[in-house]
Amino acid sequence: MSQQTYLAHGKVHELFANIQSVMIGKEEVTTLSIVALLAKGHVLLEDVPGVGKTMLVRTLSKSVDCEFRRIQFTPDLLPSDVTGVSIYNPKTLEFEFRPGPLLGNIVLADEINRTSPKTQSSLLEGMEESHVTVDGNTIELKRPFFVMATQNPIEYEGTYPLPEAQLDRFLLKLNMGYPSAAEEMQMLDLISNDHPINRVQAVMTKEELIELQNQAAEVYVDPNIQRYIVNIVSETRRHPSAYLGVSPRGSIALMKAAKAYAFIQDRDFVLPDDVKYLAPFVLSHRLILNSEAKFEGMTSSDLVNDILQKVSIPVRKEK
Amino acid sequence: MANDPIERNQSLFRGIVYLCGFLLFWEWLRPLDQITDTANMAVFVVYAAFCFFLSFIHLPWFLTIPMKLIGLAFVLDGLFIGQRFLSGEWFRYVYEHIQFNFDVMVANQWWQMTPLFRSMLFLLLLWLMSYLLYYWFVVAKRTSFFVILTIVYVTVLDTFTIYEGKGAIIRTFLISLIAMGLSSFTKEMEKESIAIRGRRVYQAWIIPLMVVVLFASVVGYAAPKKAPQWPDPVPFIQGAVNGVGGSGGNSIQKVGYGTNDEQLGGSFVQDNTPVFQAVADSEHYWRIETKDVYTGKGWIRSSEGNPSEQVVANDINLGYFSDAVKREDKVATIAMNDNATFSKLVYPYGIQKVSNSEADTLVINPTTGEIIPQKNGESFQLNGYELAYAQPSFSFSQLSESGTDDPPQIDQAYTQLPESLPEQVRDLAEEIIAESSNRYEKARAVEEYFQRNGFEYSTKNIPVPDEGEDYTAQFLFDTQVGYCDNFSTSMVVLLRSVGVPARWAKGFTGGEQIDTVEVNGELKNVYQVTSANAHSWVEVYFPDIGWVAFEPTKGFGNHTDFYIEDTGEDDEESSEVDENLQEQLEQNQEQTPEMDEQDMVGKADESNGSGGSFTVPTWLWIVLIVLVLISLGLAFKYRYHLMTMYYRKKYIQHPGQRNYEAAYEFLLKVLDKKEDLNRSSDQTLKEFAHSVDDHYRSQEMGQLTYHYERLIYQRDSSQHPWDKMSELWENLIKKTLS
Repeated sequence: MSQQTYLAHGKVHELFANIQSVMIGKEEVTTLSIVALLAKGHVLLEDVPGVGKTMLVRTLSKSVDCEFRRIQFTPDLLPSDVTGVSIYNPKTLEFEFRPGPLLGNIVLADEINRTSPKTQSSLLEGMEESHVTVDGNTIELKRPFFVMATQNPIEYEGTYPLPEAQLDRFLLKLNMGYPSAAEEMQMLDLISNDHPINRVQAVMTKEELIELQNQAAEVYVDPNIQRYIVNIVSETRRHPSAYLGVSPRGSIALMKAAKAYAFIQDRDFVLPDDVKYLAPFVLSHRLILNSEAKFEGMTSSDLVNDILQKVSIPVRKEK
Repeated sequence: MANDPIERNQSLFRGIVYLCGFLLFWEWLRPLDQITDTANMAVFVVYAAFCFFLSFIHLPWFLTIPMKLIGLAFVLDGLFIGQRFLSGEWFRYVYEHIQFNFDVMVANQWWQMTPLFRSMLFLLLLWLMSYLLYYWFVVAKRTSFFVILTIVYVTVLDTFTIYEGKGAIIRTFLISLIAMGLSSFTKEMEKESIAIRGRRVYQAWIIPLMVVVLFASVVGYAAPKKAPQWPDPVPFIQGAVNGVGGSGGNSIQKVGYGTNDEQLGGSFVQDNTPVFQAVADSEHYWRIETKDVYTGKGWIRSSEGNPSEQVVANDINLGYFSDAVKREDKVATIAMNDNATFSKLVYPYGIQKVSNSEADTLVINPTTGEIIPQKNGESFQLNGYELAYAQPSFSFSQLSESGTDDPPQIDQAYTQLPESLPEQVRDLAEEIIAESSNRYEKARAVEEYFQRNGFEYSTKNIPVPDEGEDYTAQFLFDTQVGYCDNFSTSMVVLLRSVGVPARWAKGFTGGEQIDTVEVNGELKNVYQVTSANAHSWVEVYFPDIGWVAFEPTKGFGNHTDFYIEDTGEDDEESSEVDENLQEQLEQNQEQTPEMDEQDMVGKADESNGSGGSFTVPTWLWIVLIVLVLISLGLAFKYRYHLMTMYYRKKYIQHPGQRNYEAAYEFLLKVLDKKEDLNRSSDQTLKEFAHSVDDHYRSQEMGQLTYHYERLIYQRDSSQHPWDKMSELWENLIKKTLS
């Protein structure tokens, strides 16, 4: 399901255009990344290496004028490598905290499924609680804080798949996908001289971003839209193909995402269209199919789409 | 169109189906001459056939409409109009009729509509039905609705009227099965674009269809059928209907004086419409007429008697009392109400003279008791008149001694009973009068019989006797609940079955005293008589005395004056008799106040007859009902157009959120009816609007939806270009409905 979104909001459009000067195609992923950024959520990108995941995150962080950090997850990575570590300073005779990569504004967690669950949870704790604990000290993370994690779905050897309970820390799960032939040719053309990322200028300050995030949270969600969201989510718990349905956290996520999505279209209220469009991205990584459905080759997105066909859209004012 | 064999087959099918439609429609016309006063049914059937035929052969409208009009004129001419066909006189005559009837309709005086006009409406109805059935059967190929209607019609008539629908239901089934079989065949062929040529049609469809229909019918007809598995619901339904609407039996019943009593029974509701006011000394019955022949269901006349015309100024002598009867001269004034619609005079017993009226002549019929005023040879309704009368009083001793020496013509005319009268009734009569020694005692015995023995007065849930059931027997042995007609008819029948000449009198009770006025220095009472005072009672013949009124109806007192002669004799027996009589007198007096409460009651059958000008003819009702049905059908067909007008008006009057929401939801409903446009429940409004606009290559739905979304999903949406939206909405609705 690919949809062109009309980014009516001026500032957001500027950001989008800036990113698009580097990314060829990938409008939808770009848009949804912005949605997640504005909804104060995090994104899990699942795709093979080399399709531009890192480039997307780097361009995004450069455009917002934020501190960009990258963690390359490997099996031997320790939690302290992510959060930071206190090191004894012989000059001052004190332990000094060296912040890890998690303490940036925009963090790329590359190949998150390659590291041990222990390290994974240190990242996920930070994502959820927006603070980390190092040596008994609680350290607040920076704001804005936006994690974009990638995982490689192809290789299974030496990977530690993320537990479902942790997957729902991510607001959206996106697939990059390969570019089309025309896009790829355009890409080759663009790369031949200087890499365009070097020319990317920030179009937004950190403060502006925080302001936009706050505005997005103000978007109105009518009770009948809320009911629609709840209907969808509770349907996942009843669906015969679902082994585990979506938790209430999923409803909240869907509403937050819908608000941000309405906001980037410069609308101050949520439409059912927003919810319907976002539901597969928000919900599919939050549910587990039962073995029968898996055997039949059904995917979580299929299930969500199936549910969307069943739940009726509210078209009347709630009395 | 006939060149192509497929087309020819198709039109043959259409012809057969339409013919079936006509035959079904004929089933609607058949009962009319039985259950209504519609005469010359054949003419109407022929006209209907003519209209159906014209509709079928598909001539252009400028030919068919004049042809049908001429046919209509021709029928009217043949039935009613004496003038030369289509002459100037002829048109004037028709025009006057139409004008008159429109006036009558405006005044809500439906019963005054002339037969010509009613027939014209009926013919127009036939014309419309030919179109409607053409549309149903041939164009839309929807036969089942009319088939069901026909079956319902036949069964309802069969259940509730004298119409015997056995043959009709079999015919209806045969015709409908064939019609539905053929029409579904043609529908199927069209749907699948199959063309079966020539003979194969008969082999493939018609022969199997006929075989199946005939087999089913024969089996259905011949097979043994179980008796009804539950009790007959009809009496209950009749009761329920009667209780509510006051209509029952085979005709509409209302309270009031009517002329047709052929089918008595059924419930009615009270109708306190004033009929006339009477200024008189005392309360007494107002008589109009009597009837002599009991049919087992009701009353008719053996003959219309020998009415004599006489000048108003002359004395009237109906010859009901001999000179032996004591009388007292009195006067009364009658002021008819505008609501009264009968021309016959109401008068008290002993009428002698009518004065101060507009009439120049009175047609007096001593046999039936009718007095009809005339002016310039035409009867009309008087506004008011004065009556001089000699109120009779009857001596008990005279009555007791009057004997049984009846004049032969009286005996012959007033002891008639139908052969179908159950023996039970005669036995009961014998039982009642067993201890009575003279005619007066017999009459009193029968009169009193109703006061005891569990009889009840009620106007509700009164059945109409079934076929083969006797009206009086039903009342006497079965229901024991009824009103004046039941009581009076039963008394007459009981008396006649023991050889006492008696007849059935109709008129009004005394009414309610509403005022007192001084007339020529005397105080007189003013009585208001309403339709609810319509009443029937009994007159018994006593040789050498005349006709004496009796009142069997429970709760009503006998208003006839009886007196005890002071004979001077003092023997024991006589004083005993006197005591009895005195007791009876007292009883009568006691009953009088009670009567006041129930006095409002009386009833007359709605007349089917054309003789009375009081009634609404049944078939006018049918015409009205069918017209209402047709307009309902049309309203249903064009309901979306009508609703569009409604929403548009509402929105233009009060543009705003609520009406916009209603209008938009209505728009969704209308679009839903479009097969290729209906919104599935998982489609958002925006998606739907997109598909609609794609379909019509328009912008309207998108724009309307934009505003609607803001109304229902936004927190507060105040500013909308309401007037522009109504235009968009209208444009889109028009596109959708076109």
